[in-house]
Amino acid sequence: MKPNVAWQLILKDFRLNSLVIIFTIAGGAIALAILLIGGQTPVVIGTVFFFVSMVFCACLLPLQNIVNERKKQTLSFVMSLPVSSARYGAAKLVSTVGMFLVLWLTLLGAGLYMILGRHILPIGAIPMGMILMNLPLIGFCLIAGTALVTESEGWATAAMAVVNSSYWLVWYILVSQVPSLTKTWGGPVAVWSSAVFKILGVEFGLIGLILGLTLYLQSRKRSFI
Amino acid sequence: MNDYAIELNGVCKSYRFFELQDVALRLQRGTIMGLIGPNGAGKSTTIRILMGLVCPDRGEVRVLGHRIPDEQVAAKWDIGFASDDMRLYDSRTLGWHINFMKSIYSSWDDTYAQLLLKRFGLHAEQKIKGLSHGQRVKATLLLVFARRPKLLVLDEPTTGLDPVARHDILRELTAVMVEDGRSVLFSSQNTQDVEQISDQITFIDRGRIIDSMDKEVYLDRWRRLRLEAPSGVELPALPGVIEIQQTGRLAVAIANAFEPHLANAYESSGARVQAVENMTLEEIFVANVERSREEVKA
Repeated sequence: MKPNVAWQLILKDFRLNSLVIIFTIAGGAIALAILLIGGQTPVVIGTVFFFVSMVFCACLLPLQNIVNERKKQTLSFVMSLPVSSARYGAAKLVSTVGMFLVLWLTLLGAGLYMILGRHILPIGAIPMGMILMNLPLIGFCLIAGTALVTESEGWATAAMAVVNSSYWLVWYILVSQVPSLTKTWGGPVAVWSSAVFKILGVEFGLIGLILGLTLYLQSRKRSFI
Repeated sequence: MNDYAIELNGVCKSYRFFELQDVALRLQRGTIMGLIGPNGAGKSTTIRILMGLVCPDRGEVRVLGHRIPDEQVAAKWDIGFASDDMRLYDSRTLGWHINFMKSIYSSWDDTYAQLLLKRFGLHAEQKIKGLSHGQRVKATLLLVFARRPKLLVLDEPTTGLDPVARHDILRELTAVMVEDGRSVLFSSQNTQDVEQISDQITFIDRGRIIDSMDKEVYLDRWRRLRLEAPSGVELPALPGVIEIQQTGRLAVAIANAFEPHLANAYESSGARVQAVENMTLEEIFVANVERSREEVKA
């Protein structure tokens, strides 16, 4: 039986980028350790670093795993293997998203542990935290999708600029337009209101839309190299 | 089973500043074809089309009996492809690449890979970024050869190599051909390399195949006749002679379908045939390209 080439390509990407994942998880862990110090300043610094480590990885992974394959001319080596451009695109998306999810889930788990186990933030912050955690995931999907479809460092950088400058805008909209979020985030219980579910639904819908569109556009390409 | 490893019929591909026009190409199984053309002639585009990396606008492509690009995956299991712009992962060792290829190809021949490591003077522990250009090309070809593919498609593999490295690679290519049924398409600007190893030659220029023939037939048909034409003697236009350059009494006639009676015909017209010379593949290539460009202009 012939081996699954797409699976081998995914494993190869994990091996090639393992250091990026390890260092980013380490960065996130350091940020959470800062939170443990306690007090307002360490909490602010730790929280910012926590999100910065994810935003950093959301930018670096697509560059390393997608753009560099073309830039460093390893793409023709990969495409000489028995794989179609559509399968290559799917494998690349799975590996890139998979690697980011390893980091994202690890940091999400660690963050929840810090709230539920170490009580460094009130439990009421969990819904808002979940919504905020999804933002780098959406941003990452947009950057990765743009990089894969356009195969251009320029467009990927443009996507990064748009994504990174949007975080504060989304934060501002959430805080100013959804008062129920801010009312309950300091409370002792997590309030899963309909507004929270709606926002989470929109976020996951966006992720699905971006990834679906990326796969669709990739499968329609007629020239690959 | 189809007799051809590669078949292209009426293949066209248009870009803004370049057009591949009605390309027809056939590579018989078990033969080596040299695809020769100047820069921008369409060699790489043709190769990318037959590898399924570029979709043609029109025409039919079959590789090892599979329709391309639809059945490219099935075809690629038996194709070994290397191009001069192909790079391996800089931060990894050659051994890492070998293991990666082993995880994909059950046909991987470890004994042969070890032999090639020795012959090419490579070490599996070496990181790719530490290799010279010649060593990188050899490493890429090792990864291709040790898969034991039925068809080798090599896009300018010897470009930028020193003579020793080129010799090593051409020797190995010839050795690879000893195995029955293996076919090679080898593109190059270096006519010497192509002349050394090819059975068939195809010339391509400005997106058109201008000639495709058995190498021996080429070398046999093309001749340069050095003539001396006394004043008053007009050299006749003979069939099979594509070009006459005359300077004073001395003239050079280029024939692309040489027959001994051509020399007799010139003698009969009053000219003296000083020499009938064989032409190198490079001279044939240049003459062919110039003739093709004249025809297009006309």
